[in-house]
Amino acid sequence: MTVLTRVIARLLLPSTLITAIAVLVKGYGDVGDGFSAAVIAAFGVLLQYVAFGHRAAARALPLRAMPAVSFAGLLLALLVTFGPVLRGQAPLAHSPAPGADVIYLGTLELHTALVFDLGVFLLVFGFAVGAIDLIAGATDRERGQGPL
Amino acid sequence: MTVLLPLLLALGAAPVVLVAGVLGARPAAWASIVMAALACGATLWGRWAGGGALDVAWAPSWGLRLTFALDGLAVLYALLATGIGVAVLLYSARYLPLHLEHQGRPARDAIRFYALIVLFMGAMVGLVMAQDLLLIFVFWDLTAIASYYLIGYDRHKAESRAAALMALLVTGISAVLLLIGLLLLQALYGTFALPAIVERATPGPAQTLAAGLIAAGALVKSAQVPAHFWLPRAMAAPTPVSAYLHSAAMVAAGVFLLGRIYPLLRLSPFLLDLLLVVGLLSMIFGSVLALTRDVLKQILAYSTIAQYGYVVVMLSLGTSAGVVGAAFYVIAHALAKSALFLTAGTVTEVTGEDRLSRLGGQWRGLPVLAAASGVAAAGLGALPLTIGFFKDELFFKAALERGWPFAALATLGAALTLAYVWHFWSGIFLGPLRGEAGRPPLPLVAPIVALGLLVAVGGVAVAPAADLAEAAGRVAFADLQPVEPAYHLDARPENLLALATYALAATIIAARPRWFRLAAATARLGERVGPERWYAAGLVRLNRSSRALLALEVRDLRSRIATVLVPTAVLVAIGLWATPTEGAFRVGRITVTDLPTVLGLLLAAVGALVATVPRRPLTLILALSSVGYSLAAVFAFLGAPDVALVAVLIETILTLLFLGVLALFPAELLKDQAVGPAPRPSLRWRNVGVGLGAGAFAFAVGWATLSQPAAQESVAVQHIRLTPAAHAKDVVTAILADFRGLDTMGEITVIAIALLGIAALLGRRERPMASDERRATSDERASGEEKRRREGR
Repeated sequence: MTVLTRVIARLLLPSTLITAIAVLVKGYGDVGDGFSAAVIAAFGVLLQYVAFGHRAAARALPLRAMPAVSFAGLLLALLVTFGPVLRGQAPLAHSPAPGADVIYLGTLELHTALVFDLGVFLLVFGFAVGAIDLIAGATDRERGQGPL
Repeated sequence: MTVLLPLLLALGAAPVVLVAGVLGARPAAWASIVMAALACGATLWGRWAGGGALDVAWAPSWGLRLTFALDGLAVLYALLATGIGVAVLLYSARYLPLHLEHQGRPARDAIRFYALIVLFMGAMVGLVMAQDLLLIFVFWDLTAIASYYLIGYDRHKAESRAAALMALLVTGISAVLLLIGLLLLQALYGTFALPAIVERATPGPAQTLAAGLIAAGALVKSAQVPAHFWLPRAMAAPTPVSAYLHSAAMVAAGVFLLGRIYPLLRLSPFLLDLLLVVGLLSMIFGSVLALTRDVLKQILAYSTIAQYGYVVVMLSLGTSAGVVGAAFYVIAHALAKSALFLTAGTVTEVTGEDRLSRLGGQWRGLPVLAAASGVAAAGLGALPLTIGFFKDELFFKAALERGWPFAALATLGAALTLAYVWHFWSGIFLGPLRGEAGRPPLPLVAPIVALGLLVAVGGVAVAPAADLAEAAGRVAFADLQPVEPAYHLDARPENLLALATYALAATIIAARPRWFRLAAATARLGERVGPERWYAAGLVRLNRSSRALLALEVRDLRSRIATVLVPTAVLVAIGLWATPTEGAFRVGRITVTDLPTVLGLLLAAVGALVATVPRRPLTLILALSSVGYSLAAVFAFLGAPDVALVAVLIETILTLLFLGVLALFPAELLKDQAVGPAPRPSLRWRNVGVGLGAGAFAFAVGWATLSQPAAQESVAVQHIRLTPAAHAKDVVTAILADFRGLDTMGEITVIAIALLGIAALLGRRERPMASDERRATSDERASGEEKRRREGR
């Protein structure tokens, strides 16, 4: 990989992540949702793989935590889904309820559906990066480079 | 409060023990003892305060409630689970360190043991208090899981692991029967609340079936014939586990459940008769086999089968004396049997022998143990002045109420019991001295003495135990006649039967050489053709068929896909043939504005065709991804930016994943695939045929679907209308996170499971290593670190 690729890859990581977050929080008003945001963010990380190789990328980024991120996302989504059941509502009954007032944070509406989407985001992001990390690690071992 | 306190103490014990385990194994042991004692005290207090009930709605929209009650039945079994638990845990606190030391395992392994025992205790207390069918099932399975880990505690032994798996499979499969029975009851009476079901229940075939299924699950848990074989195997567990699970807790759960659903069982005389047969068979077979065993714990295991056979017989006799007697029997048996199990553990610990043929005359070295376990043995054998006498008094009374043949069978069973108890106790403690005995530590004797004392006290003052049993019987049997066990010094039939029992037992013991061959032959016959063989054969069959199925599936990817595509095509063809086709296939018009869409679709079609040609994997992947990108473009042209975005992203990441996986394959294999010989022509034509057929029918369905626009307001329109109310402006996101959120939930769960699967397949493998191998690796690691440090310098 040329120096140019590396520089661009490094520069693209923050901007990809910001794009992903934008897609996530704007999901309710515009194109995109937690899933797309997660995949976009995953691309940012994967670009580091392509540019720097698996080992260097794994050293620079907290890749070990990816399965944990994934399961944190699952827990978050489960919480939003079955939390209302404990309060005697239907599963996934979001609050504020339809028609009720929403708290605004700038133009961002605070809504539990957003938390659910955040769960989806974490899960898919953890899955995409974690799966590719596992595959890359296995590839390294296959080629006899041994584990990190 | 009376309900909540014992329940919380019992269920909270396992976490408390684990927290105490941070400090070490000893604090964990003490924490477990204290928690069990507190739970036992709380149960006693709850009984003194008159019991109570707890009803909390935790998911009212689904009709799920947490209902618990501390009734007579619950008090009895909760006291057994916690009280015997204290004795067993006291014993374990000394036994377990010795046990681990013998096996060269670290002392910290004991923490897991204590936590599992109290987890079991908590599950048991929860089970006996639960008044809701679903709760009963949850706690029932929790006991099975805890018992799996407890029986397989010595996990380095293949025998223990096999025994644990057998216990889990046998009781787990029967738990499915139980679940079906419970759901059937819910379907019949529209509620999961057991008291309401008991009120509404009416005799009928469906009710009989439901009660029968539940009873089947209960009988397997109580190790009744023909599902008894898991219990002797489970003796591979450490002795305290056997003393707890196989005298007072796990096997007792079965008869507890029979007591719990007794009002339902009573509605069907047929069911009670069936139970009677099972109980009698277990009683006779268990006793006869116990007489032939040589290993101490095996004698006790078969004895447990026989003793719970008694309880089942008493319950199914269907009289007041029987129901109260069954409850009383459980108390007497639990006290005596746990003491005998612990005796077996201590004797084995101090002599190193676990067979009667290598033991004898131990009373010289172990006089206190001999006396204490002698009292317990007398209790099991129903001698006077022990609590056991009354259990047989009630047993005879119940049998006599039913008729003389039953009384005769009861006498035979009681005599066999006395005979094998003698066989066990005299074999260890009497006769010529065999086996070198060291001095047992105090904690390995004290719990046995305490249990023996209880057996003796119960033989003098029977009222407390009798009250407990009567309160338990009242739950099962609403119109209970008071039954008062007591000594009567007269010639009433019960006393005569007891005397006959002693005489018969003496004869059996004296005539041992005469019948021993016959009994041993029966045991061998049972081993050869018995239910354990069926179980093993069934397991082997199951394994073989699963392997065959797997081989069929992984043999050839193309045939695997064909097995999905061909039936689909056939089903679609049947559907098309059955529905009227008039107006189903219409050809619309294409205007200039559709041009981009058409172009995109054409590109996709070309990509799909191209994908059938190349044999190099890389080309194939790129061709496939071009199909995906073209379709994404089509979605964008059709005004579906959300879908287009997701399609592009998915296509990209799938392509990357494909390429990554491709890198895992050996290069030669990929080369072979690319330049190797082409598949046989017959196979090639088959593949083409399958592809064309499936494609044609998919095309037909797609066409037919698109030809008929939905007439009424579609779900889509409804979703669009509702979107603003859901505080959203983007319909797709609102659908994913709100309207169809449960679907999303299910899908992301699948993703999480897929990640688990990938991690299991590709993750860093940690193979269990032998200890010296592990040491070698850690040495290597240490030297590697040193090297690195030196290099760093």
